[in-house]
Amino acid sequence: MGTTMKTKKTVKKSGLFSIFTQGDIFSKLSFIIMGISNIARKQIVKGLIYLAIEVGYIFYMVRSGFSNILEMRTLGTSGQGMVFDEAQGIYVISQGDNSMLILLYGVATIVLTAVFFVIWAFSVRAGEEARQLKLNNKKVPNFIDEVKALFDYNIHKLILAVPLLGIITFTVTPLIYMILIAFTNYDAEHQPPGNLFTWVGLANFKNLLSASGKLSSTFWPVLGWTFIWGFVATFSCYFGGMFLAMLINSKGIGGKKVWRTFFVTTMAIPSFITLLVVGTMLGKNGILNVLLLNWGFVSEPLPFLTNGLWAKITVIVVNIWIGVPVTMLMVTGILMNIPAELYESAKIDGAGPFMAFRKITFPYMWFITTPYLITNLIGNFNNFGVIYFLTGGNPTSINYYKGAGKTDLLVTWLYKLTNDTKDYNLASAIGIIIFIISAAFSLIMYTRSGALKNEEGFQ
Amino acid sequence: MRERTVLGLNLKYSRTAIIAAILAFVTLFIPYARVESDSYTAVSLMTKLLSTGEGLGRFVMVIMVLGNILGCIMAVVNLIKPTKVGYRVWVVFSSVALAAYAVLLFVTKAAVDGKGIFTARFLVKYFSFGFWCGLIFTLFALWYVLKTAKINPGYVVLVVLTIIWLFPISWILLTSFREEGGFYVGYFIPHNFTLDNYLNLFKSTSVIPFARWWINTFVVAACLCVFNTLIILGTSYVLSRTRFAGRHNLMKGMMIIGMFPGFMSMVAVYNILKGIGINRNLGALILVGVAGAAMGYYICKGFFDTIPKSMDEAAIIDGATRWQIFVKITIPLAKPIVIYTALTSFLGTWSDYIFPSMLLGDKQSSYTVAIGLKWLTDFQRIDSYYTQFAAGAVMVAVPIVILFIALQRFYVEGLSGSVKG
Repeated sequence: MGTTMKTKKTVKKSGLFSIFTQGDIFSKLSFIIMGISNIARKQIVKGLIYLAIEVGYIFYMVRSGFSNILEMRTLGTSGQGMVFDEAQGIYVISQGDNSMLILLYGVATIVLTAVFFVIWAFSVRAGEEARQLKLNNKKVPNFIDEVKALFDYNIHKLILAVPLLGIITFTVTPLIYMILIAFTNYDAEHQPPGNLFTWVGLANFKNLLSASGKLSSTFWPVLGWTFIWGFVATFSCYFGGMFLAMLINSKGIGGKKVWRTFFVTTMAIPSFITLLVVGTMLGKNGILNVLLLNWGFVSEPLPFLTNGLWAKITVIVVNIWIGVPVTMLMVTGILMNIPAELYESAKIDGAGPFMAFRKITFPYMWFITTPYLITNLIGNFNNFGVIYFLTGGNPTSINYYKGAGKTDLLVTWLYKLTNDTKDYNLASAIGIIIFIISAAFSLIMYTRSGALKNEEGFQ
Repeated sequence: MRERTVLGLNLKYSRTAIIAAILAFVTLFIPYARVESDSYTAVSLMTKLLSTGEGLGRFVMVIMVLGNILGCIMAVVNLIKPTKVGYRVWVVFSSVALAAYAVLLFVTKAAVDGKGIFTARFLVKYFSFGFWCGLIFTLFALWYVLKTAKINPGYVVLVVLTIIWLFPISWILLTSFREEGGFYVGYFIPHNFTLDNYLNLFKSTSVIPFARWWINTFVVAACLCVFNTLIILGTSYVLSRTRFAGRHNLMKGMMIIGMFPGFMSMVAVYNILKGIGINRNLGALILVGVAGAAMGYYICKGFFDTIPKSMDEAAIIDGATRWQIFVKITIPLAKPIVIYTALTSFLGTWSDYIFPSMLLGDKQSSYTVAIGLKWLTDFQRIDSYYTQFAAGAVMVAVPIVILFIALQRFYVEGLSGSVKG
């Protein structure tokens, strides 16, 4: 292996342009005929693989790729309908174009093309590498050496191949497709295969963000509630969990593990179960109302999930119930890391427990957990589960666009738009807005946290 | 009062405790509950209850009054001669009195209704200041007695919080053993207990293929646990320990992609799967889960970053390949994060709802427990299947809770790994 490592280092990386100007005829040819430079240096198998990829790609593009991309301009022209068939002399149903499939195939072709160009760049570089090795009278690695290298200095290619393929197929392609949908009119009235949809530019965003209209009068309240929810849910759980952790950790509490286990149990239960159960408990005839009536606390059932304000408070309280143990568990570990001398000297200086919290515990905690808090905040903006399983976004409001409710977050509204009303264009536009919000908060975290920048810090 | 010192006691707080206990005793003789013209003190209501009937409520009432009287006596005793034992006994009386007050809040209605004690049906708002002051003074007394006896009063808060936290859990546990079916029952503790709800879930003739759902979920969870862990470990290793062109862009790209709400693209994924021809299939669930696994590399990479790089370098000098380093050095050193990753991938499947529900539609034989149980709480089914739903929920929760508590340590390490800033 020692020799291959050395050869790896002697080859200098050069840009594609300088490869073209400085390379020999095979290097230049390899820009058009992939792998030819490798074949010329006796790397037959490698060269042939590159060549096969190129042939396959061109074959695909000629057969359907080009037309896929061209059709994307209009997303289909002929709708479904009756067409007169002259040969048979009758009207027959013409399937027409399916805008959805046209867009999906188009995106897939574009992604495929991008992947192909990455491989193409790799092949040109590989050819150049082989040429330089030959030029310097070094051993040109044969195919078996190359495979061995995949387990050594090329291990990133081996390990990342499958995950990247997965991400490109099932995350990137669908994502590009959905982002493009935000600029079309793919709504309830334009459902393929019966109907066509087409590009509309920024119209969806204009409708959502404008000052008037049903859509924007839904969007702004939902956005506002998303923010209120995000902040209240994050900080209530944060401080609640901190309080609980400090309580269990405080001097003189016996059986710390037992207490902790009580609370951890509630977080270990899959959240959908607790949410479903709590949801059934809070209904008009749910056990909580029954008990409150039996105990004489109220004389009528409380509208936990059916009144807008009540429902908002309910989801926040239930979220505290779910989230506090999680923070408790995390904070416990951090609390133990705070140097005990700090507390001792504070005590000597006459600081009470509250002062010690304000001046020692909290600043320490705040400093360490800021990235966690921001991640959590973003997570809560997108906290689908709590809202969906508890209220389903309800109670609905007649002032809101189709089916959106008082407790809907942007993300649950997005789900309703995709799943119930099939307004994919609006759903996609909202998705992009959610992305912008998440990205903005992530940017804050990125600038505040050293973890990403100083990744070598610990080594 | 003279300053005295007794070993094991913190007499600084004793004065407050004694005053609170005496005040709590006094509240027994001021108006306790009133409905229009019917007004009672705690003592008179107790005697009335004892004379009129049976039931749990009157005992609680007696315990409360006795607890307060005895607490007051102990206050006087400890005022004259403070002893450690004396305070311990006082703690017991005070906590009993407080617990009785708390219980009375819930059982008074049942105790007094229909006995002709009040003209109207009782409501909590009819408690007068005698009750509320008594409750508050008893709480104060207990709090400061605990402080004097050098016992952390945090126990009081912890007990209350634990009751709140375990309330929904105990409800679902009790419901799962309830013989009487139906969703709308007017009581908390079942009248009759049975195991039928569990047995019915696993009967082959059952309408609900719960055993199937459970196995489906388990298979998907197990597959994802294995594959996702491998992929996340591999990706994290490569991103953390090797340097190659485009590494930073790759990480940034994955971070950006991760900021889009996941199920925004669900429809497109569904169509792609349909194109491949494997929609409405558990295999598709596994495929999509594995395909996106690498996106969750972040925490694991953070852990790998903390392993000293000199170990890798030493191994390279000894002639080890990167693969050998990964398998023989990095993974054994990263046991906590391996378990954390496996645990989170395994648990995630059990809660995953949105994508599976869209993928599987109404094909009930392929449901996972999350979709199945949600389906059971549908308003058409909730009344017939509520007890079975509860049993199903318990069947899902119990193994997971055990697994989680057993591996809690690693979860905490992983979690705090994500916050080390």
